[in-house]
Formats: sequence, structure tokens, C-alpha cells
Amino acid sequence: MAALTRLLESSWTRVVIGVAIGVVLVLLPLSSPAFTNQTITRIAVFAVAVLGLNIIMGYAGQVMLGQIFFVGVGAYAAAITVRSDWGAALGFWGVVAAFVLAVLVPGVMGLLVALAAARLRGLAIAMVTIALPIVGVPVAKRLSDITGGSQGISARVFGAPEWTGLDNDQWQYYVVMTIAAVVFALAFFLVRGKYGRAFAIVKENEAVAASMGISPYRYKVLAFTIAAMFGGVAGFLYIAAIQFTSPETLSFGHSIELVIATIVGGAGSIVGSILGGIYYVLVPQLTNAVNPNATAVVQGVIVLVVLFVLPGGLASLPRAIRRLVRRKRGPDVAGPAATERRTPEGITPGAGDALPPRENEERQNR
Amino acid sequence: MFNLNTFVQLIADGLAQGSIYAALALAIVIVNQTTGLINFAQGGMAVLAAYLGMTASNLLIPVVGSFAGIIGGILFAVGASFALGAALERFVMRRFMGGDPDTAVVATIGLLTLITGLCGLIWTYNYIPYPFFFPSGASFMVGGIAISVWSLTTFLTILAMMLVLQLLFRGTKLGLGLRAISINSRSAALSGIRVGGLLMVGWGLAAALGAIAGVLVAAKVQLVPDMFDAYLVYALAAVIIGGLDSPFGTVIAAWGIAVMENLAAAYLPFVGHDLKIAVPFVALFLVLILKPEGLFGRKVVVRV
Repeated sequence: MAALTRLLESSWTRVVIGVAIGVVLVLLPLSSPAFTNQTITRIAVFAVAVLGLNIIMGYAGQVMLGQIFFVGVGAYAAAITVRSDWGAALGFWGVVAAFVLAVLVPGVMGLLVALAAARLRGLAIAMVTIALPIVGVPVAKRLSDITGGSQGISARVFGAPEWTGLDNDQWQYYVVMTIAAVVFALAFFLVRGKYGRAFAIVKENEAVAASMGISPYRYKVLAFTIAAMFGGVAGFLYIAAIQFTSPETLSFGHSIELVIATIVGGAGSIVGSILGGIYYVLVPQLTNAVNPNATAVVQGVIVLVVLFVLPGGLASLPRAIRRLVRRKRGPDVAGPAATERRTPEGITPGAGDALPPRENEERQNR
Repeated sequence: MFNLNTFVQLIADGLAQGSIYAALALAIVIVNQTTGLINFAQGGMAVLAAYLGMTASNLLIPVVGSFAGIIGGILFAVGASFALGAALERFVMRRFMGGDPDTAVVATIGLLTLITGLCGLIWTYNYIPYPFFFPSGASFMVGGIAISVWSLTTFLTILAMMLVLQLLFRGTKLGLGLRAISINSRSAALSGIRVGGLLMVGWGLAAALGAIAGVLVAAKVQLVPDMFDAYLVYALAAVIIGGLDSPFGTVIAAWGIAVMENLAAAYLPFVGHDLKIAVPFVALFLVLILKPEGLFGRKVVVRV
């Protein structure tokens, strides 16, 4: 058992596992049915959206409830560009333009929203962003000249080129997975670098951040804008994979589901974002198959249970299991377990994924 | 073109609509003052209360007649909401107190999903009429101007509720305790106030207030599980515009928003009925940029 744990903890094992998963993901679509490919593609699409949400919620610690709005805006921007005369005339570069616009338009909108919302301390970002999808749906319906109104619009971003000999679903899979992988790599380096550390201290204590010369306001706006841009990328991928968008895409319910997926996957964890994407796509499929009316109840129960027993989300499951195993083996094992400080709830403070308790200064000093 | 009759109706309907926003906003402020949280499930809890009231009324009306049945249903909705609010505080939210406020907020999002889902599971996602004293379209004439009975009832009911709450907070020992907690819960605990119990009362009061708003809305537009999603946005806008720590400001902001959006929908053709929800959103942005602590709010000074 101990040998197994040590084996799992070594970085080489992780590299090997990572490469193995990568090889499987590259080879899989060649042999699997179209439905599997499409499902995995959809998971990648929403994993990117969850990743963006994770930057602002998990890393910068600001609850954001409107991510689906930016996904929807990105999807509309991409679809409208691809369908427009100039977009079609440009051919491949039209698709590139669609991608750039799908990132820029939500990015600018995110920046503007954040500049206003981050001015109020505390939960203002949550309170303002919850309005985005609720305002966004009627606006998308109203601008029917460009958005197609309630009917929505369909757009074929790209099909498989002749020379590849691939089916459309396989080509979409490869393109979406490649873009998603690049975005995940960017996020990985972002949260481990200077900006990631700045986000962490803003999340931990804004006063300390300010005293270190890190403006909480500026970094909140930055994290929010990055989240919105990732949402836009997810929107582009959404159009590439699903080829259709309508006001329903950016509905309030979907927005809440994205937040739930982020928490269930694991806030503040890159792997958690992938798990969140898997959760977002698969769990509603499962519950819809059983009873469509029960989907919301199941989602609500799952997120509350996760918050109660596993605040770090699914991504923290291995660590939680390891801690349980250590505790069971008792104090005779001198090791990290003995030195770990524990809060009464059994959450290890500062353990990366676990949400550390924070003083609620606003209330106590009123 | 300009018709005084329509104008007065728009104002009256706006004030009634604004009273609903105000009730929900006040519920949010009560919870925020006592626990420092924003309860995003407040609207969902109001909808659940309305469903409970509808079910109770429909059971009671054949037995005790329609008037007593409706009254009984409303009382049941308010009582059950109070109990539900207190229970949610004790058994769900208490767990997240003192921890990261963001986690607690996500928990309220989970509650919103759960409660909305439960309503859909039990009562389906179809529209259900709420049995009420008068039909939703009823109106009466005052000096040639038609005033909706619903608007008048709603405005007066919510106004009365606010006065009762004001008396409760200012004139009773319970209110004193609640105010003490909202100012400094640790000192309040040290001076012998049972903080836990009062937090439950705070959540219960907020839920009861929401229940009344829920019943009034259901009486007008019929019941559907997500009927309060938009109201939540209006209420949150009112809370931000008025100032999180100012119940008075919140109510004024709620009325202002509702009257403004009604006038904008009627007189600005590009807004229209479908885009009027964007009005509070724009107002919210202006306030956040010009006076982020809210029009009536105090600047929070934090000691480090």
C-alpha cells in the first residue's frame, strides 16, 4: 500500500499517466463511434468554459454567476462572422477572424462589467453577474436581425478537409481538443506564475494584497477579463462543435450549472476544470435519461453534498482519500499527516484545493 | 399621444411591482445584515412558499369556503417559510458560517437549484393559477383612471409588512438582538445574546417576507418554478443601488427601478416590454461607477 502511494506520488508516474491519456485521446476518435467523439468534444468545450470560471472563482476567489453569457456572446460572435459575406469570402482567415472576435468581444464586455462590478467589495461581482444571462436572453431575442431571434442561428465553421480523410466529427474533435489543450496550457502557466500568486493573495486577504502593492481591484478585473475571454473561446468551440446557437444557450439555468460544475470538479484546480467539464456534459445526460424533471434537484443535492464533505471538489478526492488512509493507520506513521494542522471540520488549511477559512472582516468591524 | 390616464396607471403599477422587488430586496438585506451573506435562494424560497400556499388553499377551500381557505393558505405559506428559512440556516448555512463567504454563497446557489428543481419535480413546470381574492385583471376607477386592484393590494400589503418589520426591529427585544448581531456578532454573543437562535429568526423572517411577495406575484402571473429568477435580479439591483446596509434606501431604489422601467417600456420604443429588464442593469452600472457603496449606503471602513 505504502509503495503504491509512493508510486502514485512520484512525478514520473504522473508524466507517464499524462502521456498515456494523451495517446489514448489522440487515437480514440479513429475507432470510436461519432456519438462518443461528439460527447468528448462537448466536454472539451465546456471544460474551457469551466476553466475560465475557475480562474475568477477558484483562483481569484470572486463568485461569478454569468459565465454562460460570455460563452453565448463568443458563440454568437463566431457564428455571425462565419455567416457574414466578408467572413465567408475570407475562407480560412474568416474562421481565424471568427476566433479572434469570439475572444475579443466577450473579453471587452467582461472588462467593462468587471470595471464596474469590482468597485464594490465583497459579493458585488456575484450580484451583478447573475443579471448577465437574465438580461442577455431578451437582448439576444431582440437583436433578431443579427442573432436570428428566438430561432437562433446555425453556422458551419469548418468541415474536415479532403486530404485528412477524416469524418467531420473526427476533425471537429481534433481541432476542438487542440485549442482546448492550448488554452489549458496557458491557464496552467498563468496560475503558477506571477499572476497566479497575485490572484491567490487577493483571494486570501485583500488588505494584505494591497499592502504588498498588489491592487485587488486591478487583479479582480484582470481575472474577470481572462475568465470572459476563456468563455469566448468556449463559445467559439461551441459553434465549431454544435454548429448552432440560440438565446437558450445563454439561459440562467445553464449559467448556474456551470458554477456547480466548477465547484464539483474542484475550485482552484486545473484538473478540476476538466472534471467539471465532464460533470457538466455527462450528469445532465444521465439524469435526463432517468427523469428530466429531476435534473435540477440532483444538481442541487450534488453541489451541497460536495460543499459539505469535499469542499475541494472531485479534484481533491485523491488527497482526501490519502488523508483518510493515513488517519486510519494512526499516529504511528510519522510523516506529513502528523504535522498537518487540522481545523475542527477536518479541512487542512492552505492545502491548495481546500477552501481556507477566512475571517469575514466586513461583518466584524462594522 | 401623452395620456395622463396611462401615465398614472404606469406609476401605480410600477409602485406595486416595485413593492415586490422591495420585499425580496428587504429579505436579502435582513439576511445580509445578520449573517453577512447574500442569499441567492431567496427568490426560490418565495416560489416554494407560493406553491405551498396554493396547495394548502386548494385543500382548504372546499372545506372552509374560499375566503377562509385563501387566508389559511397564505398563513400556511408564511408559517412554513419561516420554519424552512430557520431550518435551512441551522442545518445547511450554519455549516459555512465563519468560513469563506464565497463558499456560503455557492451553497445558496445550490439551494436555489435544489428548491427550484423540487418545485418543478412536485408541481411540474406548467403554469398553475393561484386561488386569490380577486382575478388578476380586476381594476376599479378613481376619477376616470383605472387602478388595478392587484397593484393597490400589493402596495398596501408590502407597505404594512415594512411597518411591522420596522416596529419589530426598533421596538422589541428580538429586534434589538438582531440589530446587535448585525453590528457585531462577537460582542453580541459576549453580552449574552443567543446568536445562533437569532440567526435562525433572521432567516425565518426573511423567508416569511419572501413568502408574501411570492403569493402576491403568483396571484398575478400564475405559478411556475422559475418565476422569481428575474425578480431576483431586480431585487439585487435594488440592494446594490440603495446600499446593502440601508433598508430604507433599498425600498426607495426598488420603487424607483420599477417606475423607471415601466415608463421606459412605455415611452422609449427601443426598450419596449421585452428589454425593460435591462433598465435596472444600466442603473446599477451607473451607481457602481459613480457611488459604489449605493445611493444611501455608508462607506464601509475596514480595520486591518
